[in-house]
Amino acid sequence: MSATEAEQQVKLVSSDNVEIITERKVAERSMLIKNMIEDLGAPGEEPIPIMNVSEAVLRKVLEWCSHHKNDPAPTQDDDADSRKKTTDIEDWDQKFMQVDQEMLFEIILAANYMDIKALLDVGCKTVANMIKGKSPEEIRKTFNIQNDFTPEEEEQIRRENEWAEDR
Amino acid sequence: MKRQRDADEIVLQPATKRTKTSRVDHLSRLSDELILRVLGALSVSQLIVCERLSRKYRSLAGDNSLWKGLYYHNFVRPRATRLRQSRDRDEVDGDRFLSSGGSRWLDDEHLVRHEGRTNWKKQFRLRQNWQKGSAVVNEIQVAEEASVPPTLVQMNDGIIYMADRTGLRAWSAKGSRKMVAQTSLEALNGSPPTTLAVGPGLDDETTTDTTAIIVGSQSGAFSVFTLDKREADLCHLCTHEPSTSGTISSAAIAWPYVVTMTATQSLSFYRFPERPRHTNNRVQPRLLHSLKSQTVYPPLSVSLRPSPSTITVCIAYTLPTYLSGWTFGLQEIRVTPGGDFLGSRTASAIDQHYRPLAFAIPPMIHHITATQGSLATATTLELRHIHSKPTTISYAHPYLLVSHPDNTLTLYLVKSNAETLHISPGSRLWGHTSSVSGAHVGGRGKAVSVSQRGDELRLWELEGGFVSSAARKRLASGDLSVQVQPSVATSTSQRPGQGDPNTLGLAMSVRSSCAREQSSSELTLTRGWIGFDEENVVVLEEQSQGRQALLVYDFT
Repeated sequence: MSATEAEQQVKLVSSDNVEIITERKVAERSMLIKNMIEDLGAPGEEPIPIMNVSEAVLRKVLEWCSHHKNDPAPTQDDDADSRKKTTDIEDWDQKFMQVDQEMLFEIILAANYMDIKALLDVGCKTVANMIKGKSPEEIRKTFNIQNDFTPEEEEQIRRENEWAEDR
Repeated sequence: MKRQRDADEIVLQPATKRTKTSRVDHLSRLSDELILRVLGALSVSQLIVCERLSRKYRSLAGDNSLWKGLYYHNFVRPRATRLRQSRDRDEVDGDRFLSSGGSRWLDDEHLVRHEGRTNWKKQFRLRQNWQKGSAVVNEIQVAEEASVPPTLVQMNDGIIYMADRTGLRAWSAKGSRKMVAQTSLEALNGSPPTTLAVGPGLDDETTTDTTAIIVGSQSGAFSVFTLDKREADLCHLCTHEPSTSGTISSAAIAWPYVVTMTATQSLSFYRFPERPRHTNNRVQPRLLHSLKSQTVYPPLSVSLRPSPSTITVCIAYTLPTYLSGWTFGLQEIRVTPGGDFLGSRTASAIDQHYRPLAFAIPPMIHHITATQGSLATATTLELRHIHSKPTTISYAHPYLLVSHPDNTLTLYLVKSNAETLHISPGSRLWGHTSSVSGAHVGGRGKAVSVSQRGDELRLWELEGGFVSSAARKRLASGDLSVQVQPSVATSTSQRPGQGDPNTLGLAMSVRSSCAREQSSSELTLTRGWIGFDEENVVVLEEQSQGRQALLVYDFT
């Protein structure tokens, strides 16, 4: 991508029909948009519809993309090394993710739809951090998960997995 | 009923109101793939907490892909790193490590290949239990009275083989531990069996999944059997006439080759004709070579390494050196698949032990030099330790593991290629707190050792030896082995069929932990026989009044 291409503006349209104009380089953090631009050929003219993402979420996602626009492109082999510790979230991302749960999960869904792997990882790690160190009851409370086990069943599972408990 | 539920909801309300931001379960509304992504960032201990959340999370947190990742992360990658370190030094058997380096899954490839059938959580648990040394111990009574000579036991691919005067028996080491097959040893004409070896059986389009078994006897005769695992059938293939050189003390079999070693140290190498199954007549192996050694002493270990171009017969033996005690030697005899003699070579660990000080102070008079209290004393003492007569010797290329009565083991790395045969300097392995009576090393450098009293079982990770500096550090810090912490099987009903009288007196008794403690005051001895596979360790134990029992340590 040449310098002029990077500075090009692209027009995105959210699911609630709001047009957002942003730098091509920022938008291309999303593989979905990148592929679309490549397919469409003439960026900037045709608005790009982002069907499943509302304006509020799209703005939030683009905020992340703009902060990370100069990150190196994701490599193919990333999956093997993606098992990093959940605490490995950089400070800016941590602050960025300090949103209510609804927004957090909207970001995850949007990152998944727009194919922004790094953002998806940050989102999933943030949720994982919310699970860490909690008892099952505390986790259920955090996410409003319905318990469909009887106490006996739950105890049975605990015993089955005793070998894996931290001692 | 409906009213009841309404009432419940009202009671619940105040609690949920506090987390007002979301009454909706956002997490569970994600697709399974995304939830797995979240769970993938968790550690094992957190994952098992998630299993208790609800049925949905139980199945998600137990997902094979998650556990496969954890397995790779916890066991495969650290090992790959370790191997790379030793390869960097490039002093260990290069071929072996290069070939494993080609695959990122190393020896666990078979698990990946059978992807659909591999339960990764189970595999993870198995590996972790090995690492932590936690196992469930079961005891199988094998004989009420002392058997002379002692019962012979071998283990191969999940099957335990046992031979004594009453016959040859095979039973599964897994699950219910049922008898697989048995046969009599009448072809040996009542001569008690003295050695038992198990190896890969004939493998062609008509027969797959077979194991070959050889039983050698006091008279020098030996019988060969094959076990068809699917049909659970032990088939007597042949019995070889008693030889003039006497009792068979060690043997190895890798179809179609057989090696026997007699008590008078004469080695015989036989080959079976092809495809014996189609002739109903008994087939006789053809004697290809016979060798006699004057310098080989027990304990020794004979093994066969077949490859498409050469068959290597390997004898790892104890060697007395009259100046400084015992050391170890290795002889390799190479023949073509057709049986033509290609060459023979030997190596011994002796060079490394000849230190200058050993000549200055003749080791024969340790008791005198020990009083001098000099620097030399320490060295001589060390030397005397090294040369105490070993109890067992176990060789699985490239690892040669020797157990000593002085609470230690020694590991040698064998380098064998087209040009040289070389034994590396030995590394002393500390950890046992009493005399070591048996040790067994497997192909991956996993080793198990047991103390003479049978009360201390240790697991070792010896892969790559101690050539790299990182491995040396591990050696120095002594965290190479873990002592097995047996927990006793909770109830006998869990394992159906174990008390079945039809299993030829193989009733399995499960002692409670307190009974186990009491019995340790009784004299129990391990004969030094020990075997293991992926899931179990089996130790033959001799109790007072000559009773014998097999202790099965189950790591699943």
